[in-house]
Amino acid sequence: MSEQITKEVFDHLVGLAALQLEMEQAEYLRKQLNNQLKAIAELEAIPLEKDVPISLHGVPYEASLSAPPREDEWKPYPDPAGILAQAPQVVDGYIVVPDIPHTELK
Amino acid sequence: MEICDLNALELARLVRSRQTSAVEVVKSCLERVAQVDGRPGSLEQMPLSDEDKKRVHAFITLTGENALQQAEKVDQMLAAGEDPGVLAGVPFTVKDIFCVQDTLTTAASKILANFTAPYTATPVQRMQDAGAILLGKVNLDEFTYGSSNESSAYQPSPRNPWNTDRVPGGSSGGSAASVAAGEAPLSLGTDTAGSIRQPAAFCGVVGVKPTYGRVSRYGLIAFASSLDCPGPVARDVKDAAAMLGVIAGSDERDATAARLAVPDYLEGIEEGVKGLRIGLSPDYFRITYPDPVSGELLSQPLPEEVARAVTEAAEKLSAMGADIVEGVPMPNTRFGIPAYFVISRVEAASNLHRYDGVKYGLRSEAPTADLKEMYKITRNQGFGPQPKLRILMGMYVSAAQYSEQYYRRALQVRTLIRQDFEAIFDPAGAYRLDALLTPTTPTTAFKMASLYGDSVLMQYADQLTVPANHAGVPGISLPAGLDNEGLPIGIQLLGADYAEKTLFRAARAYEMTTQEEDWRKQKPEVLRGRS
Amino acid sequence: MTDYEAVIGLETHIQLNTVTKVFCSCKADSWFDPPHTNICPVCCGLPGVLPVLNKAVVEKGVLLARAMNAEIRPLSFFDRKNYFYPDLPKGYQISQFDQSLARGGYLDLPIPAAASPDKQAYTRHVTIWKLHIEEDAGKTKVSNQRRLIDFNRCGVPLVEMVTGPDLRTADEAAQYLIRLRQLLRWLGISEADMEKAHLRCDANVSIRVRGETKLNPKTEIKNVNSIDAVREAIAREIERQIREVEAGRHIEAWTLEWDEDSGTLKKMRSKETEADYRYFREPDLLPIRLDEGWQRQILADFPELPLERRARFVEQYNLPEYDADILTSERKLSDYYENTVKSYGGDPKKVSNWLMNDVLRMINDQGLNPQEMQLTPDALAEILKLVDAGTININTGKALLQKVQESGKKPGAIVAEEGLGLVSDDSTIREVCQAVLAESPNEVAAYRAGKVTLIGWFVGGVMKKMRGKADASLARQILEDLLNEKNG
Repeated sequence: MSEQITKEVFDHLVGLAALQLEMEQAEYLRKQLNNQLKAIAELEAIPLEKDVPISLHGVPYEASLSAPPREDEWKPYPDPAGILAQAPQVVDGYIVVPDIPHTELK
Repeated sequence: MEICDLNALELARLVRSRQTSAVEVVKSCLERVAQVDGRPGSLEQMPLSDEDKKRVHAFITLTGENALQQAEKVDQMLAAGEDPGVLAGVPFTVKDIFCVQDTLTTAASKILANFTAPYTATPVQRMQDAGAILLGKVNLDEFTYGSSNESSAYQPSPRNPWNTDRVPGGSSGGSAASVAAGEAPLSLGTDTAGSIRQPAAFCGVVGVKPTYGRVSRYGLIAFASSLDCPGPVARDVKDAAAMLGVIAGSDERDATAARLAVPDYLEGIEEGVKGLRIGLSPDYFRITYPDPVSGELLSQPLPEEVARAVTEAAEKLSAMGADIVEGVPMPNTRFGIPAYFVISRVEAASNLHRYDGVKYGLRSEAPTADLKEMYKITRNQGFGPQPKLRILMGMYVSAAQYSEQYYRRALQVRTLIRQDFEAIFDPAGAYRLDALLTPTTPTTAFKMASLYGDSVLMQYADQLTVPANHAGVPGISLPAGLDNEGLPIGIQLLGADYAEKTLFRAARAYEMTTQEEDWRKQKPEVLRGRS
Repeated sequence: MTDYEAVIGLETHIQLNTVTKVFCSCKADSWFDPPHTNICPVCCGLPGVLPVLNKAVVEKGVLLARAMNAEIRPLSFFDRKNYFYPDLPKGYQISQFDQSLARGGYLDLPIPAAASPDKQAYTRHVTIWKLHIEEDAGKTKVSNQRRLIDFNRCGVPLVEMVTGPDLRTADEAAQYLIRLRQLLRWLGISEADMEKAHLRCDANVSIRVRGETKLNPKTEIKNVNSIDAVREAIAREIERQIREVEAGRHIEAWTLEWDEDSGTLKKMRSKETEADYRYFREPDLLPIRLDEGWQRQILADFPELPLERRARFVEQYNLPEYDADILTSERKLSDYYENTVKSYGGDPKKVSNWLMNDVLRMINDQGLNPQEMQLTPDALAEILKLVDAGTININTGKALLQKVQESGKKPGAIVAEEGLGLVSDDSTIREVCQAVLAESPNEVAAYRAGKVTLIGWFVGGVMKKMRGKADASLARQILEDLLNEKNG
């Protein structure tokens, strides 16, 4: 079975995932991914009737079991500052992150 | 026998009747922790000493001081004639994947290393509201991704109290280990593919994966949101039933928590199994896995000891009046893992997007003026290999060009698995089962480092537990003897949606009928030599 | 020169005016609030939190779907749209992808003569391609090469609504937004203030040779925050594309940013590879179940829509299009007009005149809400009737508008209290006449000496004293009686 996740595909995935890997780990992970894909390949062999519905949750949610939507009532959270306090960098109540460099294109 | 070795309901009774105090109970548990747990999991890299190898290492964060204060409050309430709740004074541990207000919540990952949750998860809150006392946060596989607990960023990772060279199982390894070692009678775990039942089986305790949606997920750091179930780990069935009764129920903060009254799980729990129809399926007596090199599917029967524990259990249940139905077909069981590989990865990759160094948790100290660079360095430093694997696989199988081939197909396969269960539990069907009896795991606890690193084989350890997660149905694992190496064997009962009560009844019947068996008198290795 | 036509589609984001956010109980509107004050663990995407859907968001979405003639799905789903951006705390946006709240829909957009190339009014059929609920992201701003983030806006409910490529001119695009804004306010589902980003619009623009049916590569104009700016930006872009094509160049699928200050379009960073959002069903939410009962409940008071009402006003009340347009510009004003017409029972055009000339000025100058004015439709009708009956004259009637508005009293009561009615009481006028005569002995003498033309002067004096309210013919008769009496 040929490698499905080539180095090129792998690098693309790493970019999409906002990761940046050391070479050694990258090779280990790529190998593991390809092994997993072999296991997943079994899925493709399962004979499926075309109209088999998908299940988003195993348990069906009939209307009677489903929680109704919430009423539109304001309940202020008591400690917004506590949330902000978790942020690595804050200035004047704003969370600070590095900028997104713009490449000016002509 | 020490106070900390008593079960939860007994402790609650003693505390409520003031034959002992909650403070005494907590002290006893803390003493046990001091004796057997060794150093807690930590991000600092320190080589394992010989001493370390004999310890349980269940905890990441021990909240002893706080537990004693809570215990005092419970005692004061009792002194004042108030009712602190059904679990008054009962210590419990919490898998460190649940948020607890003002407590470090790590998910066993470096990326959340400094995160202090500003709120408390619903099931934890419900335990506390029932008078139970939080003893601390216990270790797990990083973000629950694993079956051995070895992937935790917090090392040493937990070790099996029955044999500290063995893994406790995972991902709720700290939960199962802490309960087995008598550090606490109860623990709150989570089960996404077997993460409560498998470590419960490995550690010789009771683990319950409730019906999906039976227990609120609010405050549970998500792995695979459509599969995650919080549930109890306990030393016996009644304790597990009592704990589920406390944590179950609808929650205005979780739209997927079922709007369904919670029954009294203890009521009638000892009525026996007379008239219950309990099935055995050949599909749960073999495992199928791909050859790591060729990818070719290999199938092999379960180890004889494991299979025998199940058939013997069936005989005992039969002797008590249950109808045993053999040859129940569960043809889609073996697709559980491949479908799980897809569904859980897609959801996990998305659930891990939020760890980006912007608003909480780790942010790389490396100076950079580029946001994307900051994301990448942070996520590379913060995530261990298991989250990275899941993210990358999730990215791959959910990319637009593959989602039909993989993701949609996996959701269809989930339907097939679900249909297996619907057919056998259908009261008007051919089998009309009340429960399906299966082994919990293909093997007993494996050696540390024996599987870790092979993500495929590791995953196949969940083959007998993951179908219940796909189908949403409840399952319970309970101890059923020891293998020839003295390691616990677990058996599993699976039931129809919201039929936990039936499972508890059957499990309790088995527990009662085996109460006097020799293996029940055996103690975990870390407790041997105690009176 | 080749004749080109533009092909324009608009993507609008509509901020619903619910009290709370779409998936948590934080206040939705943070316009005046400091950063990070309307936040909670849910909208900040803290580990372990779960979204819980706000009922009012669904209800308002259904109203809009119905107004756009879209088909409402009895079962619709939420999906995750995954991407990294610092203002998106969960790293995914909860949106709806393939099974959204509603499907299809259209708006028959009237284009007035003034906005028509050949000065002939016409109608443009605009199809709706997408209508779904989603959550807003936070706000970011750049300062000193750093990005500052505020999560207050995270989770504010939006409806994204996308038109087909059906619009043909910049004016049509502007008309679409004008009508959409009117509709949103009419339905009471959004404040629709573009300056406050309650209504946001991105425009997709391409051109083709008139008569062709194919779609050429388009550019996307972003960051436009007024209707005038949308019109201006699209017009500029159409001109630019024509210039490019005429010069033999190709149009590339750029994303352009409208710079309000300079009135120019600037190219944004070229899109990297087409983003793969890896949409999948949101497992944390159950589908929206819009069963018949709930739909009926939501649509029970569904109002007549502005364009329908406009047509009816022309038809039923014989109003000129101009009047009908203004009187249906806003629902409360429109209701006010119609209630006045009913209460009055007279000529609807007369009501329109009073409303458009005088009442509307009061409303605008004083920032009044027609629904809450003390000058109620009944009061306005009463004033009109008083004028019709000759109880007061037109000027008095107009002065009464403000008096009623300020005091809240009934017009009739004010007329009586302040004696504003035309006085036809013999004795009152007689007293004034006597006073006038007593003050003017010389003129009385002159009259009596035969200068009878002075009667007009005496009448004027009486009217002046009575501030115009006297019945002039009665005054004249009394004056004549008094003057002749003394003689006899």
